[in-house]
Amino acid sequence: MEEIVFGSGIMQLLIALILVSTFMILGSTRLYSCVRAFGMQSFLLACVAGIVAFSTGKTDIYIVAFLTLAIKAALIPYIFIYIIREIKVKREIDLYVNISPSLIIGGILVVISYYLIRSINLITELSSFALSASMSLVSIGLFIMISRKKAIMQMLGILIMENGLFLGAISLTYGMPLLVELGIFFDVLIGVLIMGILIFRINRTFETIDTDMLKTLIG
Amino acid sequence: MFTLSSLGIVIFQVIIIIVLAPLLSGIIKKIKAFFQIRKGPGIFQPYYDIAKLMRKDSVVSENVSWIFHAAPVISFAAVLTAGLLIPIYISDMPFGFAGDLIAVVYLLALARFFTALASLDAGSSFGGMGGSREMFVASMVEPALMLSIFAIALNVGSTNLSFISQAVSSMGLSAVSPYHILAFVALFIIAIAETGRIPVDNPATHLELTMIHEAMILEYSGKQLAIVELGAMMKQLLVFSLLANIFFPWGIASEISAAGIAVALAVFLIKIIILGAGMAIVETSTAKWRLFRLPDLLSVSLMLSFLAIVSFIIVRGV
Repeated sequence: MEEIVFGSGIMQLLIALILVSTFMILGSTRLYSCVRAFGMQSFLLACVAGIVAFSTGKTDIYIVAFLTLAIKAALIPYIFIYIIREIKVKREIDLYVNISPSLIIGGILVVISYYLIRSINLITELSSFALSASMSLVSIGLFIMISRKKAIMQMLGILIMENGLFLGAISLTYGMPLLVELGIFFDVLIGVLIMGILIFRINRTFETIDTDMLKTLIG
Repeated sequence: MFTLSSLGIVIFQVIIIIVLAPLLSGIIKKIKAFFQIRKGPGIFQPYYDIAKLMRKDSVVSENVSWIFHAAPVISFAAVLTAGLLIPIYISDMPFGFAGDLIAVVYLLALARFFTALASLDAGSSFGGMGGSREMFVASMVEPALMLSIFAIALNVGSTNLSFISQAVSSMGLSAVSPYHILAFVALFIIAIAETGRIPVDNPATHLELTMIHEAMILEYSGKQLAIVELGAMMKQLLVFSLLANIFFPWGIASEISAAGIAVALAVFLIKIIILGAGMAIVETSTAKWRLFRLPDLLSVSLMLSFLAIVSFIIVRGV
């Protein structure tokens, strides 16, 4: 497999911007700006897929890029905003770890993922940037899931992890087979819907979506 | 090494810094007024203000020591010296041998240190408050400022600002890389903090709850205030020219020729006006942040410059 795509300047810029958008999610305290940053991240991911499709000329990657744009960059942020508006949640997110320490932990996670990726010695250095970015997205997504109290942020964290896996897949193998991709998209969409309904139920039962409160018994 | 022409370059640079600094301030105020649908003062208003202050007498508290009198001059001189190391219209600065970007960072720190010291000297409560806030912000600004320029310095292999500017401008568009963009965004956030603009400080108000820079210089009046204000404007111009000529130095003159310098000056003006417009947009579209949320903003900048260096290492595979 030739390495021209992931070594090109514009691709590196896009991947760097994806990292920046992840740090925007990590660094903001408002639900809406987190969702907006997630939309931006998915849009950039769709651009990455679009460039890969353009340079390899495969139609199914075009379809994948379009689906990323439609589902992850438009539909899922819309569902998020719908949920936030419907349950009238407080707009600020609550944290277990404050913003500045989370940003520093995010930076450490990026460095760790780079060293992990570098120790796999089978890739050339060109796609290693994309791959270590994908690894850091996965680990930062996991970190967001465990360090934020709101159930919505945990939903967002798992979607960031999914975006990271997508970036990794497309940078290693130029995308999985179309059928697998379609399955993943369907999974993500259904997952978001189910989690959305779950958040509505949590909100109705406990009158909060703060997962900290789920420990208290309600009889 | 030090010829008559390089003396000319230095003198011209000093004149440009002093003459352009109030103009930039006025232009930013005008753009801000445009976004707020006001008419706003004319772009030459800062000149009139300084001229007016120059004609007035200073009122000085009788409790102050020599530091209060020396601080404005020391800060002014430190900022101007930093200005001799930053390329503005010509990339080959004659004083390039005397110091690099670390010297620039520390000259700016020296200016800040003396301003903070003078704010404590008069013993007013606002002064001490302003001084402690300024140092609080500075403790996060300085490492981020260094790291973000280091990312570019790593790329070209030198910390000399003249050399960086020349190298980046000869690379052309291929210089735009992930670390370039990341470091630029980081330095832009730093520039907001350094020039005391809205998410960090509000230059247009003397509200005691929010002011940082204004609280420090509250005791100054007359000629001393004029020097302090001009120093702050010069610092703003220098931070902007760091942004413009380290990251986008295209158009800067590489040798001495009348045409080259004229073009470089025009390009420089356009660049700082664009940056000023960006700053005005940020200032009108965001609200002033609570003081204790500032570390969040500044650690974003610190993290971005850190990411810039990390991505440099990843991409180059060092």
